[in-house]
Amino acid sequence: MSFRETLESGKFTVTAEVGPPKGTAIADMIHHMELLKGKIDAVNVTDNQSAVMRICSLSVCKIAMEQGLEPILQMTCRDRNRIGLQSDLLGASVLGIKNVLCMTGDHVSAGDHKDARPVYDLESVQLLKTVDSLNNGRDLGGNEMKGATAFFQGAVVTPEANPLEPQLMKFEKKIRSGARFFQTQAIYDIEKFRGFMEFARKFPVKILAGLVVLKSAGMANFLNNYVPGIKVPREFIDELKEAGKENALDTGLSITARHIKQLKDEGVCDGVHIMAIGMEDKVPVILERAGLL
Amino acid sequence: MIITQKRELSRLLENVENYRSFFLIGCSECATLCGTGGEEQVKELTGVLRGKGKEVTGGIVARTGCQVLGTKKELKEHKEALDKTECILVMSCGAGTQSAVEIFEDKAVYPTNDSLFLGNMTRFQMFDERCSLCGECILDRTGGICPVTNCPKGILNGPCGGMQDGKCEVSPDINCAWVRIYERMKKIDRLDEMRETVLDAKSWSKGQKPAALSTREKKEKK
Repeated sequence: MSFRETLESGKFTVTAEVGPPKGTAIADMIHHMELLKGKIDAVNVTDNQSAVMRICSLSVCKIAMEQGLEPILQMTCRDRNRIGLQSDLLGASVLGIKNVLCMTGDHVSAGDHKDARPVYDLESVQLLKTVDSLNNGRDLGGNEMKGATAFFQGAVVTPEANPLEPQLMKFEKKIRSGARFFQTQAIYDIEKFRGFMEFARKFPVKILAGLVVLKSAGMANFLNNYVPGIKVPREFIDELKEAGKENALDTGLSITARHIKQLKDEGVCDGVHIMAIGMEDKVPVILERAGLL
Repeated sequence: MIITQKRELSRLLENVENYRSFFLIGCSECATLCGTGGEEQVKELTGVLRGKGKEVTGGIVARTGCQVLGTKKELKEHKEALDKTECILVMSCGAGTQSAVEIFEDKAVYPTNDSLFLGNMTRFQMFDERCSLCGECILDRTGGICPVTNCPKGILNGPCGGMQDGKCEVSPDINCAWVRIYERMKKIDRLDEMRETVLDAKSWSKGQKPAALSTREKKEKK
């Protein structure tokens, strides 16, 4: 079953993330893909994440397909104007890429080419509309195309945003602009997430909860202090501390596994998106502990 | 107004090292308010150049340096000094510098300032940017706060995931434009409109460079 079919069937869906490397050495990345094969429903390929220049998402999506994984093409609006974005979308379509995740993208000031000109000719909502238009056989200029795309398009939402209401308004706009599924920013507080899901359930979209694996108490504190929209509750930081340095990562894997199990068993959302950030090789362990393998 | 900032003196001196005589043109409008091209700065630069052994033949603070004909007229009474001048230094914005280039076809013209942005003056010599002169105003849709300018990503449909406690991911000194718009829309009871409005991709052709505009009636043309 494809990612879309899995989600639409109501089966609990699991996605993970692969970050393309900087440079042409891809052996490690392919190894990670091999480890994920057959264990997840789709793999997100990030698009120059954190505005750090790397191999493009499109090429790595193609490699993922060759490795037997279904890719979700992450596409940001930071580096390409509307011509570039649409052209790459058509390119992705003819390569057989079925899923696209539309994002505005981290600002260049976060990355390793701080003097670059940020593009943002479109932003996430407008990119979703663009995909919808391409799916209907017309480009953003209203020109008819020979052959339409057939993307399953998704977007991102931050359930822990503060203030939350403008974020929820944008969530609604993304749905009206064609978003079919959402992968959320990392969530840790399941009870709070339930509140968001109560709101999200009013709309005909599928929600995958974003889970970032905690490696240590230090990392959890870093997320709380420096990463917008992520709140790691005190109890998990304490749990990681108590585990001690050597066992912190293992505890972090267990916390993620516990969350997956709870979200699935209690039917909180439609699936999970695991962001292992450099520890893609640990994803199978997490899935095993969550009872999904 | 156009916000300008003085360039490093070393760069200016490097620019003009082959010239001996200078005429300085400030501007009584924006550059005076910015402290980059008023009476005081013209006097100061005159002193600096003379201190470096250069000749300064004269200087003016033009009423409006970007007004080509007006500035040309003001310069007429300085003809004698200008005839003895090799190099014109313009102490206003890039527009003022290019007025001088048009007026002095056969003389070297150099800027003493960098032109930064169209700014609002918030306190004495404190400025911030609120309008990007994009060519097609959307303030009617955004509660009067411009996201094209105030959001580093120019997002038109709500805050991005980088917003934290109302602050921007680019810098904690920037208040999220979309949280500001949200707060304002709430105050003026237009939140429903904010929820319903999806702004389409902007037409950047409206701001295509170089822009030109004439509002003259045809009959006025000679």
